[in-house]
Amino acid sequence: MAQDMTLLWCSGSPPCWRVMIALEEKKLQGYNSKLLSFEKMEHKSQQVLDINPRGQLPSFKHGNIVVNESYAACFYLESQFKSQGTKLIPDGTEEQALMYQRMFEGLTFYDKLSAAIFYDYYVPEGERLESALKRNKEALVTELKLWEGYLEKLGSGSYLAGKSLTLADVIVFPTVATLFIFGLSAERYPKLGEYYALMKERPSVKASWPPHWPENLMGQDTLKDM
Amino acid sequence: MARNMTLLWGSGSPPCWRVMIALEEKKLQGYNSRLLSFDKQEHKSQEVFSINPRGQVPSFKHGDIIVNESYAACFYLESQFKSQGTKLIPDSPEEVALMYQRMFEGLTFYDKLTAVIFYEYYVPEGERLDSALKRHKDALTIELKLWEGYLHNRDSGSNLAGKSFTLADVVIFPTVATLFRFGLSEKRYPKLGEYYALLRKRPSIKASWPPHWLENTKGQDTLKDV
Repeated sequence: MAQDMTLLWCSGSPPCWRVMIALEEKKLQGYNSKLLSFEKMEHKSQQVLDINPRGQLPSFKHGNIVVNESYAACFYLESQFKSQGTKLIPDGTEEQALMYQRMFEGLTFYDKLSAAIFYDYYVPEGERLESALKRNKEALVTELKLWEGYLEKLGSGSYLAGKSLTLADVIVFPTVATLFIFGLSAERYPKLGEYYALMKERPSVKASWPPHWPENLMGQDTLKDM
Repeated sequence: MARNMTLLWGSGSPPCWRVMIALEEKKLQGYNSRLLSFDKQEHKSQEVFSINPRGQVPSFKHGDIIVNESYAACFYLESQFKSQGTKLIPDSPEEVALMYQRMFEGLTFYDKLTAVIFYEYYVPEGERLDSALKRHKDALTIELKLWEGYLHNRDSGSNLAGKSFTLADVVIFPTVATLFRFGLSEKRYPKLGEYYALLRKRPSIKASWPPHWLENTKGQDTLKDV
């Protein structure tokens, strides 16, 4: 089962982390885990291109079945291993609807995070503008306030779609963790801070924590004034 | 059933079109269909904000249940109406894996399209650069070749994930239709052209064709050289 699975990933990549959390939650430990170096451009190596013509990580294979794209791999795993491990898609209509909506808002959340903290990666040197970076940071603040509000409405100890962990948390938590590693203030965003503290303790999250990150909240401070 | 559903949408918006195709495929005609005008900024009206704090369309409600985000609404509809209308998520692992992967590659496809055709909408006047727009067009060309290749490897007359019409087609067809609306060359992309010609005859797609595209059959030629 898991031995027939291969995941090509790199450390600190939220999309890769999503799939790793899903594998843990579905009790699929024991998969072939290939850690590649982004700095050494290993994501563009033949090994990756053989599975993924886009030369991107995560790249995932189950036997002969390739499932690239992090959300795709997560949906695939839940669909194929429904009766094993944690139930990641709830039965209740309201919970399910909320889960789906938050998962896809999670795309916007991740985009806004990347546009702010990975600006130099996405924009060639000659095109970078202070006004654009400023705009991106403001957009991230607006987005953060939205999620802070979502968590406030659900109450303490809650997951993103309700009482239980769902695919919404698998998908969105890595974004939240990245925010705090990059210096986001838990004082300014207490609900997100609570959610981060809750999820950090989960075995699947601990087991898949990016190897090069420190355990505690010290990292870069790019977002400390946000 | 459908009478308890409301969709707020704008003409020509691919995300809105996705949900409309899904509603048609699941035999949910008869929903409250609220066409809003982008020109008159109606997507930022109180009516939208009362369902969607992001002030975006599509905004969708089923009774008291809100499901914004186009992919979320499509997944929700298939999950809640599995036994009605077209089966949009196949059973076989190979087909479902491919469907999921193409759906999420579809996000990249749509992003690369809008980076070109909505460049001036996304980038404030003082920040627009010829080099950036050129970069986006080159990226779109690469993306198009990928999809042309995906369709080339499938048998003629086939859908994106195999023999059946699936959620992958629901979410991606509107992107393909928009490409041709904006002048993409069918000579340069014959497989995409074939896919477009095949699916535009599908009842769900005819029924949800953007109204202003019917009024004015001539599109733009932004993409003629891409």
